[in-house]
Amino acid sequence: MATHERKTIDLEQGWEFMQKGITKLKNILEGKPEPQFSSEDYMMLYTTIYNMCTQKPPHDYSQQLYEKYRESFEEYITSMVLPSLREKHDEFMLRELVKRWSNHKVMVRWLSRFFHYLDRYFISRRSLPPLREVGLSCFRDLVYQEIKGKVKSAVISLIDREREGEQIDRALLKNVLDIFVEIGLGSMECYENDFEDFLLKDTADYYSIKAQTWILEDSCPDYMLKAEECLKREKERVAHYLHSSSEQKLLEKVQHELLTQYASQLLEKEHSGCHALLRDDKVEDLSRMYRLFSRITRGLEPVSQIFKQHVTNEGTALVKQAEDAASNKKPEKKDMVGLQEQIFVRKIIELHDKYVAYVTECFQGHTLFHKALKEAFEVFCNKGVSGSSNAELLATFCDNILKKGGSEKLSDEAIEDTLEKVVRLLAYISDKDLFAEFYRKKLARRLLFDKSANDEHERSILTKLKQQCGGQFTSKMEGMVTDLTVARDHQTKFEEFISNHPELNPGIDLAVTVLTTGFWPSYKSFDINLPSEMVKCVEVFKEFYQTRTKHRKLTWIYSLGTCNISAKFEAKTIELIVTTYQAALLLLFNGADRLSYSEIVTQLNLSDDDVVRLLHSLSCAKYKILNKEPSNKSISPNDVFEYNSKFTDKMRRIKIPLPPVDEKKKVVEDVDKDRRYAIDASIVRIMKSRKVLGHQQLVMECVEQLGRMFKPDFKAIKKRIEDLITRDYLERDKDNPNVYRYLA
Amino acid sequence: MYKLGRGNRDKVQQFMTITGASEKVALQALKASDWHLEGAFDFFYSQPQISAVNTRHLEDIFNRYKEPDADMIMVEGVSQLCNDLQVDPQDIVMLVISWHMKAATMCEFTRQEFIGGLQSIGVDSIEKFRGKLPSLRAELKDDNKFREIYNFAFTWAREKGQKSLSLETAIGMWQLLFAERNWPLLDHWCQFLQVRHNKAISRDTWAQLLEFVKTIDPQLSNYDDEGAWPYLIDEFVEYLTENGFVQRKK
Repeated sequence: MATHERKTIDLEQGWEFMQKGITKLKNILEGKPEPQFSSEDYMMLYTTIYNMCTQKPPHDYSQQLYEKYRESFEEYITSMVLPSLREKHDEFMLRELVKRWSNHKVMVRWLSRFFHYLDRYFISRRSLPPLREVGLSCFRDLVYQEIKGKVKSAVISLIDREREGEQIDRALLKNVLDIFVEIGLGSMECYENDFEDFLLKDTADYYSIKAQTWILEDSCPDYMLKAEECLKREKERVAHYLHSSSEQKLLEKVQHELLTQYASQLLEKEHSGCHALLRDDKVEDLSRMYRLFSRITRGLEPVSQIFKQHVTNEGTALVKQAEDAASNKKPEKKDMVGLQEQIFVRKIIELHDKYVAYVTECFQGHTLFHKALKEAFEVFCNKGVSGSSNAELLATFCDNILKKGGSEKLSDEAIEDTLEKVVRLLAYISDKDLFAEFYRKKLARRLLFDKSANDEHERSILTKLKQQCGGQFTSKMEGMVTDLTVARDHQTKFEEFISNHPELNPGIDLAVTVLTTGFWPSYKSFDINLPSEMVKCVEVFKEFYQTRTKHRKLTWIYSLGTCNISAKFEAKTIELIVTTYQAALLLLFNGADRLSYSEIVTQLNLSDDDVVRLLHSLSCAKYKILNKEPSNKSISPNDVFEYNSKFTDKMRRIKIPLPPVDEKKKVVEDVDKDRRYAIDASIVRIMKSRKVLGHQQLVMECVEQLGRMFKPDFKAIKKRIEDLITRDYLERDKDNPNVYRYLA
Repeated sequence: MYKLGRGNRDKVQQFMTITGASEKVALQALKASDWHLEGAFDFFYSQPQISAVNTRHLEDIFNRYKEPDADMIMVEGVSQLCNDLQVDPQDIVMLVISWHMKAATMCEFTRQEFIGGLQSIGVDSIEKFRGKLPSLRAELKDDNKFREIYNFAFTWAREKGQKSLSLETAIGMWQLLFAERNWPLLDHWCQFLQVRHNKAISRDTWAQLLEFVKTIDPQLSNYDDEGAWPYLIDEFVEYLTENGFVQRKK
């Protein structure tokens, strides 16, 4: 360490030396010819400061030098910077400012190097503001504070000019705005308070005036185009020269003025608003509408409402159309679900396809729109057409696709696709149980009368239904399909059995389909008096069945059977394909040529309704196998029937149809009964776990539990509750009749 | 005789004058209530007044009305009793009496029911019984007792082995009971039942109707459609509004 006595430097002497260096620096900054600082220059200046600060008191000049440092800046700013800024205006002033600021930063850098020793020791010891900060704050206090207002106005007027389409010097703006940021020395206060606030206000004013004219002059799509363009530009503006923290605030302002303020006016524009766009399928404009309105709070709600309204109206119009078509139909065909209804379902499917595409494409799959679509479809899908519920229509529609020779001729893929869509529509239908019941009826007919076109499709729709409605929903239907496979196997075994026991052969080919009771719709089984030939068949089959399984009871449902019988007419023998009932009736005429109505009723042991239906099909319809006296179109109890031996037809084999009884009423009744059980079970389940529950909650929970299958009527629930009270499952609370208690 | 202070002796005197009970009973009641007169009255009237009547007399009365070949009072006996009490068998007071007797079935009293009933009413002769009729009738004015009698009426009036009350009987009972209450919708109710319902009445509906009569004003302004009112009452409200019998203001 150097211990030799150093010569003390006094303040004036030392500062004089420093002053020279500072002047040189100023000259460089002003662009006057001056050689650069050499490292020696720099070392000398630094050493001078070092020495002046390390002398023993009273010759330690740290404090004085710290002040002189600041004074150097102040002097330079007052004498050079401010005058040059004051004489310039607008863009020129901005340029000068940018230049002066960058010079100032250079000056701070150099000076703070010369005085660096102060930073290291004196400043840190006394916790004073460091040199760099002192230097920068001089500019802030003297320059920035004086001209920030002018600068801000100049910048904003440039931005406004750019908004109007002029070219401006973006780099300049970027530099000026950087000053606002840098001058805050790490805090954004200056930028925000001295510039951003004013910009936002100006922006709001600017777009508020624009919007006022646009909303009056432009159509909704044009307005949206402009709005989207403005938003895009503002975003670019931020990228080009504003601070990134302004983006959100700026866009919000613009959105507020352009969209929030006029949202409803825009959507409701009479000839071009949201309604019109939906009506005219303006997909692109709708997408734009979604993009814009998704930016503002609660902006999409009105759009989704209009969407819902629109879809509801379209759907309701379809229902109305189908209604009208149905009421124009011939009255005798009214109860049958016909072609019109098929077309109706098709149209509903198309409508759904169309608007699902809207939701996923225009509205980017937003939940609000999914919900709107669902609600809209629920409105008209539960209306029903001329007495048929949509549950029934859908079931019939499926039947038409799945059965042989249905009205729809479709490729395998098209069938799959259509089934998929029907299942999706089912989601909107609240009476899913009703659909299931109708579907089962139709499925039973397809399976039992061998009308199903394709086993794979049958199974595929069941898989789809299972996915959507759960396993419970389809378990019976699946059972039905499986039953039939098993039955085929059974039939082969039965035929083997007959060939092994020729003595048992009844002499008639017999095929029996054994079904599982629970899976199938319930059929009435009457004790019809079968002809002896058939009785023998039944006996043989029973014997066979006993060899295969014990403890199972066979119930015969003759009403679902068919028979092929050969009838010997005078002209030729014709094979008649008839139902078992029809066959039983015809075989009566093997023993007698003439039979009266009442004789037939007693011999067959069937109900009047059935006998009338059978006789009508055999004596009043297309093929008159029986002659009726008197000969007219209706059956009455005093009629007499006779075998028509003169009957003939050009075909060798004819099918004599027996029109099916209208099952609709029974299906609805069955479903109603099942619902009562379901409600009872649900109430008991809820009460068992809750013990005590208020009326409203019970009803709500019950609706929730059952909602997946059907929408229970409040009145129905109430009736069931009262019934359960009568049956001592529940009681009312003694003090509050609105509360129920579970009685274990 | 106990040694009693003057004050207490006065109380015994007062008690005996008012209740007509014996000194022994008076002392018992007053002691039980710590010599508060009011309390003693409550005690006295809430106790079955066994001590006030003579059981043997009661047996005699029962035997006078009972069927010759059964240990019960049947229709004959009841009408004889009504005769002696000088009331119409249709009089509502007979319901109050049956309630006191805890009779299981209309127009029938078992020995136990009849004697227990007379004891609870506190009479041991037909004359006293007749004298009690006004106060029995007055019990209908008491809200709590009315409710008990009302609910009793359901079980009492229904046919043996039935869970619910036949409509005809129910309407008769309602007309009898609500005549006391002046329920303005009574006629509409009965008519509604005959036109729209025409089925038996469940106990729940029976009990809830009283709540309805008591709490819902005849303009139905405080009727809550979402409430737990029985289905039938909901329908009734609908019927009233549909037919314009009542204009509901919401």
